[in-house]
Amino acid sequence: MQKPIIEVNNLKKYFLIHKKEPGLVGSLKSLFDRRYEEIKAVENVSFSINEGELVGFIGPNGAGKTTTLKCLSGLLYPTSGNVSVMGFNPRKREYPFLKQISLVMGQKNQLWWDLPAIESFILNREIYEIPRSQYEETLAELTSLLEVKDILKIQVRKLSLGQRMKCELIASLLHCPKVLFLDEPTIGLDVVMQKKMRDFIKEYNRRNRSTVILTSHYMGDVKELCKRVIIIDKGRLIFDGDLAEIVEKYADHKILSVVFSKEIDPKKLEKIGTVKEYCYPRAVISIKREAISAAAAELLQNFPVADLNVEEISIEEIIREVFTGKDVA
Amino acid sequence: MKKYLQIIKITFQEYFEYRLNFILWRFRNLISLFVLLSFWLALFGEKTDFLDYSKSQILTYVLGISLLKSIVIASRSIDLGGQIKSGYLTKLLIQPINLFKFWFSRDLADKLMNIFFMIFEIFLVIKIFNLNLLFPKDPATYFVFFILVFLATGLYFYLSFLLSCLAFWTDEIWATRFLFGFIFLEFFSGSLFPIDILPGVLKKIAFCSPFPYLIYYPLKFWLGQISFKSVFWVILMEIFWLILFKKLALYFWEKGSKDYGAYGG
Repeated sequence: MQKPIIEVNNLKKYFLIHKKEPGLVGSLKSLFDRRYEEIKAVENVSFSINEGELVGFIGPNGAGKTTTLKCLSGLLYPTSGNVSVMGFNPRKREYPFLKQISLVMGQKNQLWWDLPAIESFILNREIYEIPRSQYEETLAELTSLLEVKDILKIQVRKLSLGQRMKCELIASLLHCPKVLFLDEPTIGLDVVMQKKMRDFIKEYNRRNRSTVILTSHYMGDVKELCKRVIIIDKGRLIFDGDLAEIVEKYADHKILSVVFSKEIDPKKLEKIGTVKEYCYPRAVISIKREAISAAAAELLQNFPVADLNVEEISIEEIIREVFTGKDVA
Repeated sequence: MKKYLQIIKITFQEYFEYRLNFILWRFRNLISLFVLLSFWLALFGEKTDFLDYSKSQILTYVLGISLLKSIVIASRSIDLGGQIKSGYLTKLLIQPINLFKFWFSRDLADKLMNIFFMIFEIFLVIKIFNLNLLFPKDPATYFVFFILVFLATGLYFYLSFLLSCLAFWTDEIWATRFLFGFIFLEFFSGSLFPIDILPGVLKKIAFCSPFPYLIYYPLKFWLGQISFKSVFWVILMEIFWLILFKKLALYFWEKGSKDYGAYGG
């Protein structure tokens, strides 16, 4: 059995946050009476990841995804628990560790703002002590993959968000990190750019066998990239496993969408399944997986059906259900 | 080592990126030098002595302030506080670099830039005001002066770094910077006037602080008002302050980066 490259055991991270009432009065009050509240950002999270895996980290805002990534990259000191990445303790921030990881944060600029991106690349070449030939090669490869050859000499502040994100990625991949943390890498990008970014990440993971952990709000990212997902909510891990498994486990029904040719009595539909939506001529009905063919047959026989479609529940929907209280073991 | 050289280079490039900013900044320096000199020249008028200083001693002191400010005080590590607050520090913390060396490299670029232009500007005002400055005759003086300035540069670096580290815990970095920068630094370091012209109590307070070692003592020694025998004690004290602030800066940096929240995102 392969030894995991990342191991997290009972990770906890609590923050003390100072709370302020709104307005000037609140500000004045907080001068004399500061109230602190303990926020449990990450609570007893454990998982392990093997080399070469591409794992999706999902959860709503404030679930603790980024905090976990920051603990893994050594930026934050865990309140308790153990974290090991490639055998290193990230907290120690040892150079051999830092040289093999990278953290890309979608909403944060890591390039030198006032200078062209190429200057940041050159600085990274020196910082990570990348041999010149390797640097030239990687840079040429990355720039052509991401199609950014002609913007490398433009001041970073003048780039569009998409162009900048591509440059951010290049800057953090020049040293060929073994472990790559991507925090919302597609945030704010348009659909075309998102797709390009995904393709690139996939390709990069395949080619270099590097381990990638990716957080995202966009299910599209996760669906397309990750076989395995880890779901956390309110700091707790609520699911760790194959994306297909979660679909199987929680998608116990399918969606029938019907278009009628004549108006019907919606009450009659209730017998067939749960009517989610009825607005003539369209109806959406949720039906148990095993009952789907019988339901379809009944509809076609007894109702004036113009069109009928059977659809799988979208991943988004499943995840939403998982988050809104459906008990997940 | 090469990485820090690259940081110096990139800092230079940043300056050149904004030409107007750069020109205005030098212009401002030149103007404040003019103002300070005109003030002292007006104060002396026809007199040759004032508060136990001769005219050329004071003028040497004033020009010395400008030069030492660009060597000792010029720095970029002030930005560290803001970066801690904004979460920008994150970018630096995940890279294999030593943050002290990183900031010292940035400072060094700033100093080199300042020194280069300051020398031109000083020559310019010497010509314009037709100044008669004092230069020590003994070559050993230059050597000791160099040591004093070298230590002062280190002392200021750690002082400033320590102060920036406060941003890990307080939200009001500018308040502390202001207190430090304008009250203590300008006043007690002797970068407005030699502090021995201050009245009794203030003078005592100033001399108990590390600030006079930054500007006052090196210039006093240049003027020949500190003997070689007493400068030994000055150097010893300066080393003491340097070590103390280095230890404090390291301690607070370690502690602060543990508490660091890496906000944003």
